[in-house]
Amino acid sequence: MRLGRIGARYAAWIAGLSLALVATALLAAGFIGFRQSRVVQAEIHAAVDEARTADEEAALRGTARYLGTHFFNALYQLDVQRLNEEIEQVRIWLPITSFLVVDAQRSILTDGTPANGRYGEVFAGELPGEGRESLLLARRGEQTEIRFNISSGGVQAGWGVVTLAAAPWQASLRRLEERTASSWRGHRASLLSLGAIAFVVTLGLGLLTAVLLSRSLARPLTEMSRAAAEIAAGHLDHPITVDRTDEVGDLARAFDRMAADLRAHEEALRAERADLAAKNAELERFNYTVSHDLKSPLVTVRGFAELAGTDLDAGHVDRVRQDLRRVVSAADRMHRLLDDLLELSRVGRVVQAPEDVALAELAREAVDLVRGPLEAGRVRVEIADDLPVVRADRRRLLEVYQNLIQNAAKFACGDREPRVEVGVRRDGPERVFFVRDNGRGIEPRFLERVFDLFEKLDPRVEGTGVGLALVRRIVEAHGGRAWAESEGPGHGATFCFTLPQG
Amino acid sequence: MRVVALAARLAPRTLGTLAALAFGVPGTVGPAAASRPPAAVHLGVVAEEPNEPDKMLRIFAELLARLREQLQPRAVRVGGLVIARDLDDLSQRILRGDVDFVIETVFPTLALQERTHCVEPSLVIFRRGQREYRSVFFTRQESPIRELADLRGKTLVLQVLRSTSAFALPKAELERAGLTLVPADDLRSRPGDVRYVLAQAEVNQAIWVLHGKGDAGAFNDGNWAALPEKVRARLRVFHQTAPIVRGLLSFRSGLDATVRRAVEEALLRLPDDEAGRVALFQAAGLTGFERLTAEDRAGLRRWAPVLRPSQAR
Repeated sequence: MRLGRIGARYAAWIAGLSLALVATALLAAGFIGFRQSRVVQAEIHAAVDEARTADEEAALRGTARYLGTHFFNALYQLDVQRLNEEIEQVRIWLPITSFLVVDAQRSILTDGTPANGRYGEVFAGELPGEGRESLLLARRGEQTEIRFNISSGGVQAGWGVVTLAAAPWQASLRRLEERTASSWRGHRASLLSLGAIAFVVTLGLGLLTAVLLSRSLARPLTEMSRAAAEIAAGHLDHPITVDRTDEVGDLARAFDRMAADLRAHEEALRAERADLAAKNAELERFNYTVSHDLKSPLVTVRGFAELAGTDLDAGHVDRVRQDLRRVVSAADRMHRLLDDLLELSRVGRVVQAPEDVALAELAREAVDLVRGPLEAGRVRVEIADDLPVVRADRRRLLEVYQNLIQNAAKFACGDREPRVEVGVRRDGPERVFFVRDNGRGIEPRFLERVFDLFEKLDPRVEGTGVGLALVRRIVEAHGGRAWAESEGPGHGATFCFTLPQG
Repeated sequence: MRVVALAARLAPRTLGTLAALAFGVPGTVGPAAASRPPAAVHLGVVAEEPNEPDKMLRIFAELLARLREQLQPRAVRVGGLVIARDLDDLSQRILRGDVDFVIETVFPTLALQERTHCVEPSLVIFRRGQREYRSVFFTRQESPIRELADLRGKTLVLQVLRSTSAFALPKAELERAGLTLVPADDLRSRPGDVRYVLAQAEVNQAIWVLHGKGDAGAFNDGNWAALPEKVRARLRVFHQTAPIVRGLLSFRSGLDATVRRAVEEALLRLPDDEAGRVALFQAAGLTGFERLTAEDRAGLRRWAPVLRPSQAR
């Protein structure tokens, strides 16, 4: 699993902290253990020292008294063999490093060894005597030397000079120290082992923490960071999949909401831009169309005005009259064009309050308004009974039906009885209102073009070419759509529109 | 070697019972048993310390163990060590058939022969490499004693009455020189007699001479060499005897010949391996055995009247 930088940093911190804690705990435990072992050792030393000072001298005196008595007979009889055997026996139960038997003349009789290397030497040191201490005790390092009388019944046969190696208590202390040192070494080895284990565990813990942090904290943040970059790059549909209930989850959800809002704004902007572009295009077309279509009557006015002048110069009054009628007709046409343009512009600007409108009734009212052309063309209009009631600007919606029915009447086909059907159909969730005729029909490539301003597929047909553009403008002003359907020339045409429900 | 006087004072019967109880000594067997092959062969020794049997047991334990190991394939069982309090006790045990072979120096061996008439020396023993030894007479460096004759009226420090080199041989040498050896506390002694005291151990003999408890001493040349350097340096040898074999291994006459041969061969083979050599050396410094030659037997015959073994204790 790849670790995020935040996860790795947190993991390093936690691992370091854990390691420091564990190391501190181990060091503290080791220090306390070491201190405690030292304290115990010192206490044992003190206790043994105390016991020793109380008992050792008494024990040594007892030993000296025993040896002094036990060795008397052998020394008195000069039984060196016996003395040597006795010394050998004593060596078994006392830690003797040196044993000298000195005769009454202070001459060393034996040292207890077969070589008897100090035989005959005069012992120069102080020896215990009559009326003095019967025991001399001296300590040299760990060794203790005792000098005692070998006497019986007031007869001094000689002396014993014995050097004892570390006394049993000293040996015990040394063993204790060795044991303590060994224990401490073991303790230290254990601590080192524990430290190694703790290091490994901490490392594992750090990695685990890194993984968990990466999963729980760093990864969502990283993902949000990536998402922000994607959003900044314009990819607003980049989702953040963080399924958590904590602050990070809240942040991710807020981020998602922000992205959704941005997306909505972006889409709204895009729609507005598209709308604006469409309006610009329409405006361009409008400008072009207006300039072109308004220019045409003006050209007519100018031409016939010049003709009228020429005819007037020529004295052809009738022709002048005829020219002027044509000038007037062109002016009327121009007047109508301007009226229609004015109406078209009003659709976008003037909005009446919506009201409940019964469409069937409205359709019948529209039929009444265009009854003249309908009767002239013997067009039969059928209005469906199931037309609903909608909320809309009644006056504008009347204009929609009026234009559509009038348009259907214009393109009636001569070889069949003209018929216009006003109804509604269900197309998925939408209600589609339609005005269908069985007239000439429209080539599919012109289905959209018919809604353009001043667009007339057949120039011979009366009208300004504003009607269908007006229909689309009114429907869209209500939030709906308007379009045309036809299977081609000769198959009639159906003009549809939708209105928002509710 | 020494014998503690206390042991001598104890009643023989009491000691015999004690020894039988303590050392696993076989029960009393009548003289007739001497002609029967024993269930197991037993080595007999005289205790140096009658009240300390462990010393002798320690000395001979390994030797007996090795013998058991060697003789087991030949169906000869080696029994426990028989520790006698003195030569008289040992003689009785030999006569009862409790003891089948002994290791002793010449003087005690001759004494056992004389008392039991059923002890037959078979092997010469080597001790610390010595096949034979001699007794040396020594005195202090500054002593005026130069020869045996100078010992008249003097005190000679000897070891024990049973010792060959430290009693019997010096005594015989003195008698041959026309001197009489008498105990120092003998009220019947004459001024020209050589008085003797017993120091129980060789090293004591030397020390006693040096400390004036005697004027001279006598023990074997091996003991002389083993003295501590500082002690030997203060002494001087002024006479020595003719050599005599170091010691003898003798069998009880009634012992089955096959068994005797098996024991002899096992003993002769002991020095062949390291374990055997160690076991031998633990037994008071033995280093080997050799069959007794005719010359050895002739020598023993010569020594017998001289050493007067009947006086041995």
